[in-house]
Amino acid sequence: MTTSSMMIAMRDPAGVPGPPALFEALFVGTWVLHIAFVLLTLGACALSIVGFLLRERDPHWATLSSSMTSVAKIGVSLLIVLGVAPLLFTQVIYDPQWYASNVLSASWAIAFIGSLIVAYCLWFVFYAKNKKAAGRPIVFYAIGALTILLLDGLIMHVLTYQSLLPERWMEWYAPNGVVDTSGTKLHAIQWSRYLFMISLSAPAVGLFLLAYSDYLASRQDIDSGYLSFARTLGAKVAIVGLPASLALLLWWLVDLSKDNDLISHPLAWLLVVSFLTLFLLVKKASVPGRGYALLAAGAPILCLVSLWREIVRVAALSPFGYSISDYKVNIDWPSTILFVTTLVGVGGLVGGFFLTVSYEAGRVQNVYTASPNVARLGVGAVTVLILWLSIFFTYGAAIWVRNAFLP
Amino acid sequence: MNIIGAYPTFYVPYLGSAWVMGIIGVIHVVASHTSVGASFLFAILETKAYRDNQPELLDFIKRYGLFLLVFSYVIGSITGPGIWYAITVASPRGVSGLIHNFVWVWATEWVYFTVEVIGVYALVYLIGKVDPLTHLKLTWSFALSSWATMLLIVGILSFMMWPGNEAWYETGSTNDAFYNLNFFAHLGIRTGSMFVMAVVVGFVVASGVKDTALKTSVIRMLAPIGIVGGFFAVMMFLYYLQTLPTNALVMLRSHLLPRYADGMILVFVVTTLYLSIGWARPQLIRPTIAAALLLFLATIGVWPEERMRESMRKPFVVGQYIYGNQIIARDAPGKGVVAEVDAIAEKGLLSLHPFVPERLRTINSDNRFEVGELLAKIACSNCHALEPGAPCAVCPTSSTARPTKT
Repeated sequence: MTTSSMMIAMRDPAGVPGPPALFEALFVGTWVLHIAFVLLTLGACALSIVGFLLRERDPHWATLSSSMTSVAKIGVSLLIVLGVAPLLFTQVIYDPQWYASNVLSASWAIAFIGSLIVAYCLWFVFYAKNKKAAGRPIVFYAIGALTILLLDGLIMHVLTYQSLLPERWMEWYAPNGVVDTSGTKLHAIQWSRYLFMISLSAPAVGLFLLAYSDYLASRQDIDSGYLSFARTLGAKVAIVGLPASLALLLWWLVDLSKDNDLISHPLAWLLVVSFLTLFLLVKKASVPGRGYALLAAGAPILCLVSLWREIVRVAALSPFGYSISDYKVNIDWPSTILFVTTLVGVGGLVGGFFLTVSYEAGRVQNVYTASPNVARLGVGAVTVLILWLSIFFTYGAAIWVRNAFLP
Repeated sequence: MNIIGAYPTFYVPYLGSAWVMGIIGVIHVVASHTSVGASFLFAILETKAYRDNQPELLDFIKRYGLFLLVFSYVIGSITGPGIWYAITVASPRGVSGLIHNFVWVWATEWVYFTVEVIGVYALVYLIGKVDPLTHLKLTWSFALSSWATMLLIVGILSFMMWPGNEAWYETGSTNDAFYNLNFFAHLGIRTGSMFVMAVVVGFVVASGVKDTALKTSVIRMLAPIGIVGGFFAVMMFLYYLQTLPTNALVMLRSHLLPRYADGMILVFVVTTLYLSIGWARPQLIRPTIAAALLLFLATIGVWPEERMRESMRKPFVVGQYIYGNQIIARDAPGKGVVAEVDAIAEKGLLSLHPFVPERLRTINSDNRFEVGELLAKIACSNCHALEPGAPCAVCPTSSTARPTKT
């Protein structure tokens, strides 16, 4: 039995219900959304803590700390929900790797859940207490939460990295032939990769602050001095963070070159160039009115990072003959149509309605009254949901009756 | 067949991995059902506030919503993926079987879930900050989206019990898997119980409201919803029992009902009584009593219900085609799935399992107890623990039976 035959056997015998390349694209694409909120949350957590500690130096720090505490609170919710999709899609095409790695560090996989709950609760306590009169010790709630979140990031990194090393699974599971079913060990860490990913939170929150100061510019009740402070700080954080991330990226590339020739891959150098370009853009153009554009300019980098992860994965698994292209396919049209129509109809109309109302309401000081277009969007949201439910039940009842009663 | 697609084994001493999954699952069920049920309570209350010009009801919604953000959207949203991680390490092939059948359904649920998370923040934080009609549309959209997440997951959960007929095995179509025999009954139970849980949690929130008139008005409105939800859930449970496979009924009659039936009846009676008292005398509802009732419902109601649903499936873990020990039990020609039982009977698990060390593939006098322990863990630990006195012990005398080496 070879590593290759073992991984092929571990694939699910039911096959995948669509083209494997489609799942790969969804995996890469949805990971971008997930990591964007991971990075924003970590950056916002760090800024909340720094802002809290410096609040006596300048009141703008206190405002920023409070605001970033809210950003991190919502960020955690979104990073969790957006993390579900890549977690789902990776299990479709990389099931042998993901499951084996998880079982080998099973106790950590379970601890990830408990610790994330603790971290989030600690953050909520900090959020509730982070007021003007709050004493210094409350910052320990925030520091505790951030530390646990970083540990959770490390656990996720390990689970991913272990999945790329199938030739070592048996050695980890049964060192010297003695089976260890406890799952209590983190077997492999690639610090360069982990620290690179974490470091991206600095440019991420920096770019966010640039967009944030533009977003709030229309609010008469917000001090323009604070917005200027946030913009300057955002530019500084991004300008310091981007070279730091670039240095860590180069370390990761050197690390990778030990095992294969990925350092000469064009995408690796495109990544390097994109970091330098964004650095120059922020340095030259971080002026009022450019915040959204600069934040958007960060998105292609995250797409490249996501694509790069996939290239690293393919390079790690191909020596073992593992390729998603030869995964058995059993296309399932009904559920495919269900997903696509829901994504477009419900995601577009209902998600669009929620986001539009939230965005517009945040830009006005008083009560926001929906414009005719937003009002129509609201009617469209409720209508599409009623339509979806009607089809779901009618279609389902027909299938149920056919299978239960008809020969 | 020279190899089966098995994974390493994760073993939790004394508890067993299934209990870890069960504990996370119960927390998730309480939080998620409360969340879905509460979304409808919000929509009903807000509709009344809008029609009858009772804006004070929005204060209660905001209060409940903030509670929900921590209770359901912190604990609930993390324990959701938590169940996934738990079943991944406890039953990797079981979860793989579900993923490879239902990935698009799960992806659809993810769309709703994302919309729901954005929606709950918008709903809570925009109360009083957007015009009432827009907020009402937002609340109803949120409620319908929340229920859709339940509809989608119930199809998958009920398939875990069984498809109910031969259709799915022959076609492999998600249609036949998802709309299985016990789907509607199962959906009825969960829809009824989500209202009960949301109302019980609503009582916890309302009991802390200082405005007496508001407290009375809210509790009076919520109580009948909980009572009707409870009756509906019980009716659907009785119907659900008619849709179960034989192995589940055997397990139910011989093992589960004798242990849990009294508790379940007690939960129904006590909760109905409590909600009725709330309706008749709202001021008697105090925070301590409300919190105690919630705890009672979770431990005596939800835990046995989830435990029964898990146990009744056994020896299967998914759709009566994958056993709890991860072995493929039968053919599913629609998907090209081939049973592994005959191959294992012929060649042995030690030979076919990829995660057995070479030195343990052949039994000899030096390793036979070690091999036995490993085989027991591979074959039994999804449901049982090996330690004497463990909750689901399969070998009560395993440690004492091990002879000393001579």
